[in-house]
Order: sequence, then structure tokens, then C-alpha cells
Amino acid sequence: MKKSQSELPVFHETAHAELASALEMLAACKATESSNQAFGYFMHAKDEYNHAKSFFEILSNRAKRASIEEARDFRFKPPSLITKGYISKQGFLIETMKLKDFIAFVYTNELLAKSSFENILIMVGNSSEEGKIISSIMADELRHHGMAKKFFLNHYPALQPWQLRIYRMKETFNNRGRKIYDINLKFLDKLLTPLYKAMAYVAGTMAKKLNLNEFKREGKNLMNISSNSIL
Amino acid sequence: MFIGVTGYNHEASAALVDKNGVLVDFYREESLSRIKGDKSFPRRSIKKLLVTNNLKIEDIERVAFYERPLSAFLHIVKEASLHMPRSLPLLTHQFRNFNRSSVSCYLDFAKFFRGLENKLIYSDHHLSHTLTALAYSDSRKDICSVVVDGFGDRSTASISQIVDPTEINELWECLYPVSLGLFYSSITDYLGFAINEGEYKVMGLASFGDSNSKSAKLVRGLMDWDYASNQMISDMSYFDYHLSTSNSFSSKLEDLLGPARNPFNQLIPGDSDFQRCANIARGAQDLTIYLLGKIFTHAHKITSSRRFLFSGGVSMNSASIDHLAQMPFVDEIIIPPNPGDAGCAIGAAFYCYLKSNSCSDIKISKPSFFPSLKEKRNDELLTEQIIFNEFTFLERCEDNAFLKAAELISTGEIIGTVLSSSETGPRALGNRSLLCDGKNKYAVNKLNTVIKNRSPFRPTAPAMRYEIAKKFYKLRPEIYDCYKSMSATCKCLEDNISLEFPTTHVDGTARIQIVENNSSLDKLLSMLEPMGIEILANSSLNVSGDPTCFDLVDGLMVCSRTKLSYLLTDLGLLKRKT
Repeated sequence: MKKSQSELPVFHETAHAELASALEMLAACKATESSNQAFGYFMHAKDEYNHAKSFFEILSNRAKRASIEEARDFRFKPPSLITKGYISKQGFLIETMKLKDFIAFVYTNELLAKSSFENILIMVGNSSEEGKIISSIMADELRHHGMAKKFFLNHYPALQPWQLRIYRMKETFNNRGRKIYDINLKFLDKLLTPLYKAMAYVAGTMAKKLNLNEFKREGKNLMNISSNSIL
Repeated sequence: MFIGVTGYNHEASAALVDKNGVLVDFYREESLSRIKGDKSFPRRSIKKLLVTNNLKIEDIERVAFYERPLSAFLHIVKEASLHMPRSLPLLTHQFRNFNRSSVSCYLDFAKFFRGLENKLIYSDHHLSHTLTALAYSDSRKDICSVVVDGFGDRSTASISQIVDPTEINELWECLYPVSLGLFYSSITDYLGFAINEGEYKVMGLASFGDSNSKSAKLVRGLMDWDYASNQMISDMSYFDYHLSTSNSFSSKLEDLLGPARNPFNQLIPGDSDFQRCANIARGAQDLTIYLLGKIFTHAHKITSSRRFLFSGGVSMNSASIDHLAQMPFVDEIIIPPNPGDAGCAIGAAFYCYLKSNSCSDIKISKPSFFPSLKEKRNDELLTEQIIFNEFTFLERCEDNAFLKAAELISTGEIIGTVLSSSETGPRALGNRSLLCDGKNKYAVNKLNTVIKNRSPFRPTAPAMRYEIAKKFYKLRPEIYDCYKSMSATCKCLEDNISLEFPTTHVDGTARIQIVENNSSLDKLLSMLEPMGIEILANSSLNVSGDPTCFDLVDGLMVCSRTKLSYLLTDLGLLKRKT
């Protein structure tokens, strides 16, 4: 049970990340003007969808053995792709980034994803059925990385491979930064939760005194109520 | 031009109504973001409305948000404050996320569509529902509107009398937290299904249950109708949705009904826990039918109306509509094709229109089930390489493609469709569908399980013309329009062959679709009927967990990800390469 407790969040989060990648690629497919690029993004999206499916299946197999209370926390809720930050509220990457940066982002993150899957591979065991699936996903990620590199160098021939390495280093630092930020945020959250609760208690005590009856609509013509009021 | 929008607390969408009262366009945010149940500010939908219809911000006269944001916020806070300290996590969550709630819609308009924020007005949540339903009614006067949902901005159910579109008097309301919609969602959650998505599954599961079982009776006792106050009443100690961000039911409900179901275990008829879950679902369904009956009876009593508009999330409970239609005072029930919160954008857009016109100018045109304009983008160019590499054209000419698709269906094949514009509501009515011969058990089973990966206890809907439907099913004229949008189930005729159809549920009912004239399905059926096929099984074109397909790329993706081999599109009939 303890093992599943530590494994479930890993598969849950990875499945989210892979599904978000699929949606990013699908968005890129729809946003491009080139039929060839559309095909490339389409196939990439399909791979990512399949990866997400695999991770959800692995999660499901493990969650069946978990306690009901715990399993309920790992149900997939599609809007959590946004609330967890896997898809930005500002839009898909293709909408917010320059194409060059987008390709460099894909190039870098496919490789980073492959490295993080190595840890998952150790977790499930190399020779297990699940290990074989993870290995195949890792091969896909490496292929995507190669394709992004090829695309990048074909379309921006003036750029040199070392510049891609700089992109990679930058993104690696960014990722680490995001992790540190996330850890700090969680720490701060724990630290401030009692304060938040105290503030909520005070606000709640005041809210108790609210009389919302005057906003009742019974007997009123709804079309005559002010359209400027947010209450 | 007028825009209506929904979002934040419920599914996001945007609708466009022109100065003549015609619904011009409508998009659900989930169709564009591909995130099912997307609740974020409908930025993509509004942008698409503007771009597709060649509009600038200056062309928009008014924008209406579908509810009053502060009211929604305060009602939740007020109720939670009465249960401190137990409700502190919910209160903390509410206050911490205040700036992300619908209260911030003004700021989001200012951020993404500068200029529109100054044109923003607010409609009551249930008024938006009512106006959506009213748009789909042939009559605009002297009709009663019943709205039953989870929670809007104030109440959870209401009855209004529509004198005319400018005079809509609310006569009864059920106040939060007592809520038939949230009760049903809590049971959905308890049974291990996702809230706002799994309610259909509970409805399907209920048919396997026994109303006389102990579990069903226990669930049946969780809510009731109080004759003295003419109100729904509920023992709130069984529920936590008004106190918690993560739990919709309390441990007391588990003490009453046994442990909640692990969501990751499949429910298969015959398995050990299946019957208990089915009985619980049956109890929830029985209670829903009972309480809806009481609400409609009360609506008739206070309005004397025999014609009803019915909207809100609970009106998607298609299994209860047939019961309502049998009530002696009911002459007509109209349910819009998108009666949930996403559809409220349509009502909000009509609210702007009504607010901008004097009574004598008001004309509301009945919207089509497929209002979105056909995608103007050249799909053929974008998908050229995808199709070249992954698919082959079987037919390019439209008529030949339909004929070939009909021939394939007659041989037991399953066809996906991405034709013309997409449907307004959550049910695929032919343009974004998976179709097969509705009497072919093998094909229907393959569609349901192999391609859709649906729970084995959920039936697939049959689609046919009216003349065919009346040979097999007990149709009720009071809800004729509901059959067109798959909003109501009906019973098979007694001792009829339809009881054997694979689209018929275990309780002898089917959620039929009566096909509209001149629709894609109508055209397909006209080619199928000479081949001896008069009923199609119709399910939405999507992979489980995803929104229904919106454009051709989505359709191609579903084909690539599943075992679906054929796709009927505006470009022609495609076959996936093996």
C-alpha cells in the first residue's frame, strides 16, 4: 500500500503531462499553414495521446489496489490540465511562443521527458510488461527530440547545433527553477495555511451575518432586474 | 451583434445573436481547447466568434455574462460560514480563489478583449437557462419555465411564468444548498464516476437496479417534497458538497449505503458489487423522477400552464422526461439541445438582444441544432499530408461518398462523420457521430466497446425517421421535439421486435433520435432504406474522456487512435490505412 502511495502521484502527473503534450501538438497541427508540418504535429500528438493512455492504464492498475479514499484522489478530471498548470491559462504554447522557440522547447523537453522516464522505468522494473511500454515511450521521445532537432536546423540553417545546446541548458535551468519555485510555493502554502484559515474564519464570521434574502427573486420580473448588478 | 458567455464555475461557451434575434454562431470552449468540461474564461470561443463572423469589438453592442458572479460567490460562502469550523477548507479555498472566480470576468474581458468589458451586463443564471429554452420554443408567450440544476447564482431550482419575453416572473425557487442536481452528482461521485460527466452512467446503470431493493429505498429517503411549504427538503448531513472542496458526500452516506466504489474498478453486469451500485443508482433515479414530478405539479398549480420549458443540468436526465410527459396536465415540454450551463450562453446572448430592443421589435428565430458556421478554413489544404499518409479516399463526390458509406454500413461497418457544422448540444445528432446499423448486434457492440470503450451497461442511441419510430416505440406527442435532440427516452411497444434491438436498454427503453429533414442523417437514411436499414445506432465521435470532435483534424485523430476505419467528411469518404 505504501509503495502505491508513492507511485500513484508519479503516474497521475506523468499522464497529465503527456496528455497536455498531445493537446499542445494538436493545437500546433491546427495552427500551422504547412501541410507537411501539420502531418508532423499530428503524428506527434497521436504518439503523446498513446503515451497518456499507457500511463493512465498503469495508474488504473495500481489504483485498483489502493484504498478507495486514496484512489478517488487520482481520478482524471480534464480541467485539472489547466488548474495544475500543464496547459497555460494564456493559451497553447504555439499561440504564445515564436515558432523557433516552440520547436526549441519541444526539442529540449522531449529529451528531459526521456530522462524523467528513466526513473519511472526503474520504479516499474526494466523487464516487466510495464517496463517494456515505458521503454517504447522513451524511444518515441528520443525520436521526437531528433525530429525537432532536424526541423530546427532545416528551417533555421544559420543557427548552429551549439545554439540548440544553449536552448537546452536554458530550458533545463528553467525546469529546475520551476521545481524550486513549486517546492517553495508548497512550503509557503503550508506555512501560511493557518493564517489563511484564520482569515477565512474571520471573513466567515462576518459572512454569517449576511442577509441574502433581499436578493430573492420570488414574485419579481427577472427582466426588470438591473443588468449591471453582479449581485 | 450580441454575445453571451458562460464559464468559471461551469462549462465555458460563447454565443452570438444578431440584431434580428437570430442565433448566428455558438462554440463550447471544450471543442476548441479539447479539454472536456473546460471551465476557463471562453477566450478561444469569443475569438472564434469574432474571427469567423468577421467582427470587430466595435461591432458588438453588448455582452452578457450568464450569471451574477458575486451572488454565486456569496451564497456559497454564506452557507459554508454556518458550518464552521468544518467548512473552513471550503471557505479558505473560496477566499483564496476569489480573483479566479467569475467575479473576475470583467477583468478577463479587459485583458483579452479590450473594449468589451465596458459593454458587459449580467443576467440571472436561471433566466439565462429560461431564455435558452424559450429560443427553441415555437411559442414565446404564456408558457411556464422550469429550471432544475446543481447550483447557479442563487437557487438550485425555479419556476417562472413567461408572459412574453420581456416579462418573466419568477414564482418559486429552491434555495441552495438543497439541490436535486447536487444530490444526483453526489450519488454519481459515490458510485465512482466523475461529477458532471458520469451522470449519464448512473442513469444507464439505474435500469439494472430494483426499486424495491433496500439500497434503492434508502437513497429514495435522502430527499423529499414538503407539502406544507411546497419545497424540496434534504437531510444535508449525508452530503458535504456545501462544506468541502473535495467531498460531495459525507461519511454518514457511506455508513448508510456501504463504502463508496473504487473509481478504477470496472463495473460489469454480474460482478459482485454491480447489483448494489445499480440499486443505488435506481434509488437516485426514482427520487429524481418523483421530485421532478412534484416540481412540475407545483408549476402547473401556480401558473395553470400546460406547456413547459425545461432546462438546467437535471433536464439532461432523459430517462425522467417520459414520466413527466405522462402527467395529465402536460401538453408540451420543450428542452433545448444544450440544456446545461454551456447552453446558457445562448440565453445570455438573447438577454442582451432583449435588453436592447423595445417589446414591439422582438423577434426570436428558432435556432438550428447546428448553428456554428461551417469552418471557413481550407481543411483540405491543412490535412492534405495527413490524409495522403494515413488515409485513402474511397469517394470524393458528396453523393457517391454518402452512397458508399451507406453500403459499408449495410455490410456491418462503422462510419465516423465530420460533416458541416457541429451540434450545439452534448449529443451528436449525425454531424459528429459514429454510426452503424442499429439492428446489427455485432456492429453496435463493436461501436460501444471496441471503439468507444464505453461501460458495458450503457446503451447506444438509435436514430431513425418519425414514420419508422412509431412502428417500434411508444412516442409521446408532448415531447416530440425532445426526440429530435435525443433529450428523452421512450419505451418499446409491447411485444414488439424493437425489444430485441441492440440499441434497446435492459429496461425496454431507448434514447431515440428522430432525424430532422434535410440533415446529414436524413440523407444517409434515404440511401440506407432501400438496402433494408431503417435504424442507425448513433454515438458521438470521440475517444472516451475527450470532447466530441469539432473539426476534421479531430475526426482524423479519433480514426488514428481507435479501430475506426471509415470517416465520412465534407471532402469525401476516407478509409484509414492499416
